Amino acid sequence: MKRNVAIAVLLFWLSTGALPSRLWAQAIKATPEIFKQFSEHVVKIEVVETGSAAKASVGTGFFASARGDIVTNYHVVSKLIHSADRYRVEVTEPSGQSSPAKVLGVDVVYDLAVLRTDRHPKGFLTLETKPVEQGTRLYSLGHPRDLGLTIVEGTYNGLLRHTLYPKVHFTGSLNPGMSGGPTLTHAGTVIGVNVATEGEQISFLVPAERALALLEKTARVENRPGNGFLAEVGEQIQANQARYLSGMFSSKTPSISFGPYTLPTKPTDFFHCWADAVRRKELPYVAVTHDCSTDDYIFVSSEQSSGIVRFYHQLLSTAELYPPQFFNLYSAQVQAGNTAVFGNEEEVTPFRCQTRNVQTQTGKVKAVLCARQYVKLPGLYDAVFRVATLGATNVGLVSTLNLSGVSFENIEALSRRYMESIKWRR
Amino acid sequence: MAPLGYVEILDAKGNVTERVRIDSFPVQVGRAYGNHVVVNDPYVCPVHLAIESDESGRLFARDLESVNGLRGGVDGDRVSVLELHSGAPFRIGRTLLRFCSVDQTLAPTLIDRQTQASWLASSYAAPIAGLIILLLLCLDSFLGSVERVTVAKVVSEPLMTLSMLLGWAGLWALASRIVVSRFHFAEHVAIACSAIFGFLVLSTLSEWLEFFFPVIPALWMAGFLGSGVILAALVYGHLGRASAMRRRSRLWAALLVSGAAIGLSLIIDFANRSKFSNVMEYTGIVKPIDAAWLPSTSVNQFMENTEKLKKELDLLAQKARSTQP
Repeated sequence: MKRNVAIAVLLFWLSTGALPSRLWAQAIKATPEIFKQFSEHVVKIEVVETGSAAKASVGTGFFASARGDIVTNYHVVSKLIHSADRYRVEVTEPSGQSSPAKVLGVDVVYDLAVLRTDRHPKGFLTLETKPVEQGTRLYSLGHPRDLGLTIVEGTYNGLLRHTLYPKVHFTGSLNPGMSGGPTLTHAGTVIGVNVATEGEQISFLVPAERALALLEKTARVENRPGNGFLAEVGEQIQANQARYLSGMFSSKTPSISFGPYTLPTKPTDFFHCWADAVRRKELPYVAVTHDCSTDDYIFVSSEQSSGIVRFYHQLLSTAELYPPQFFNLYSAQVQAGNTAVFGNEEEVTPFRCQTRNVQTQTGKVKAVLCARQYVKLPGLYDAVFRVATLGATNVGLVSTLNLSGVSFENIEALSRRYMESIKWRR
Repeated sequence: MAPLGYVEILDAKGNVTERVRIDSFPVQVGRAYGNHVVVNDPYVCPVHLAIESDESGRLFARDLESVNGLRGGVDGDRVSVLELHSGAPFRIGRTLLRFCSVDQTLAPTLIDRQTQASWLASSYAAPIAGLIILLLLCLDSFLGSVERVTVAKVVSEPLMTLSMLLGWAGLWALASRIVVSRFHFAEHVAIACSAIFGFLVLSTLSEWLEFFFPVIPALWMAGFLGSGVILAALVYGHLGRASAMRRRSRLWAALLVSGAAIGLSLIIDFANRSKFSNVMEYTGIVKPIDAAWLPSTSVNQFMENTEKLKKELDLLAQKARSTQP
């Protein structure tokens, strides 16, 4: 009986010929409709320099709770976090209504911030933590280069593999200014928060669950002084580095053979390693390089990023050069790259170094440890640890470990394990 | 007939400017040309003074009622008669005089060290020193090159250095010609070569020391002082050929020049240090020797030492935080 009814209904729908088109219309809205329906929840966020009343940076955000919480990127409001007395945040709704906002919480590792204004929103966008299928059509909203609210179509391509922090791979063009904006499904649920792009349609989103977690944390926060966030930023980076660096370069780290040397490589999945060699005929020596690095830096301020771990081995060998000649080359290699690319007086102290000839398990090395401390984030350091093997006359290895935004305990622990993981045959 | 002695006219420093032979007494001294001793001093009277001897052979100076009188010693009181002792000065007007008898005791003969430093003056010194320096510089240039090189490339830079050295020696030779009327070019070349040799030795030595003992910060100071000593020696040597200065004043001049040079570079160094920079300062020098010879610390010691590094950074950060709003 039931079956008959079902068949009858089906036949009815088929006979009217409306089934496919009606279903389609219900399931997938056209982009203009999506824009019309959801864009009112998306706001422009401006950080304004109080002295000149001119905007210092522009980004996007969206209402994400009935309380009026606005989700955006940490990097959109980072200037305010660093100098609360020099900047304020202004939120502009699509209606043109502007109102001042305050920061309630930040997640510097995932590049998120939650703001709130005094206005009650007409509605808000819900965040979706359930995964969608690869290839699902997504719509990203934002203010690219402050050109006005824009909608960008793209597709969902899953979570990035081999990254330290999960990120959604969104195939669509995000542009500066869209940062902090939502990327939605056709139903209007937010899959992720716009955060970065690598050009050519390769863009990244912060997964919605990170934004939900931050919203939960800030749910009971009503008001916070603007200058209290730096300490929290420091603590978040501190906790994060303690988590992902623990055990790195332990004895289980895979190794590669590099001439007579056995060297650490790819300690975890989120490292990417590359190798290259210089074997030019006109040069009387050969230089081989093996370079491993994490991709996931943490944006701290426009002057400073942090959280990158990089290490590289440079093997020099010669069959032609006399030992004093070879060692001139080798000395220059040990000295090379002794200047950090980033860093200014407000953010970091100058470097201080310690150099010693050290006896390791397999032989003697020249070991150099240089470090500097973050001025605004006490207890966090950048460090360069370099080891040059000694004793041979026609072959030498310079191996360097770069750490940024780590505790001094981790500098010591990682340097020690790194030095011990470098071995060679004599 | 042997003279009885000499009347000497002295300049303000006590150097003899004129010497008048005395064969008999009395001797008349004054500005007038009829005197035995003619003194060119407007404060001296035409006939100012007479020098007489008594029966026992003692000598006296007698003021001949002059305007400005006679004074014993350099600035003694005015007297009308003064007993003269050989070698003791007295004054008329603004002129110092003294009488020296023929048996006046003399200072011992000075040894001439300028002609004694004979290896510099020998005609081989400069070419040999130049050749040695050229060879050393070529060796340095060859060992310093890490690409395949031609002879021309190895030699060109040392030749440039050598020609600059010749130019330097030439300038000093010119100064010598002006001041002491002789060029001494070869000697200036040899002196400059010695200094370059000194710098080569110093830099090699400090590299090896830095490699062996990377921990000692005094090495940096020693390098500075070493350069200072070489510079002082260079100036001292050049001045010896280019002036008639005495050893002591040459030494002072040399120390002054090298002190000034060191002071200046210390100031520049300090100014650079107090500027903020992203450079990691360490020496990357490594040398090809058997590792067994190399003093070293254990991994544990290295790690324990990093506490000092941390303290230093904490202090720096504290300082930076206190200067920021």
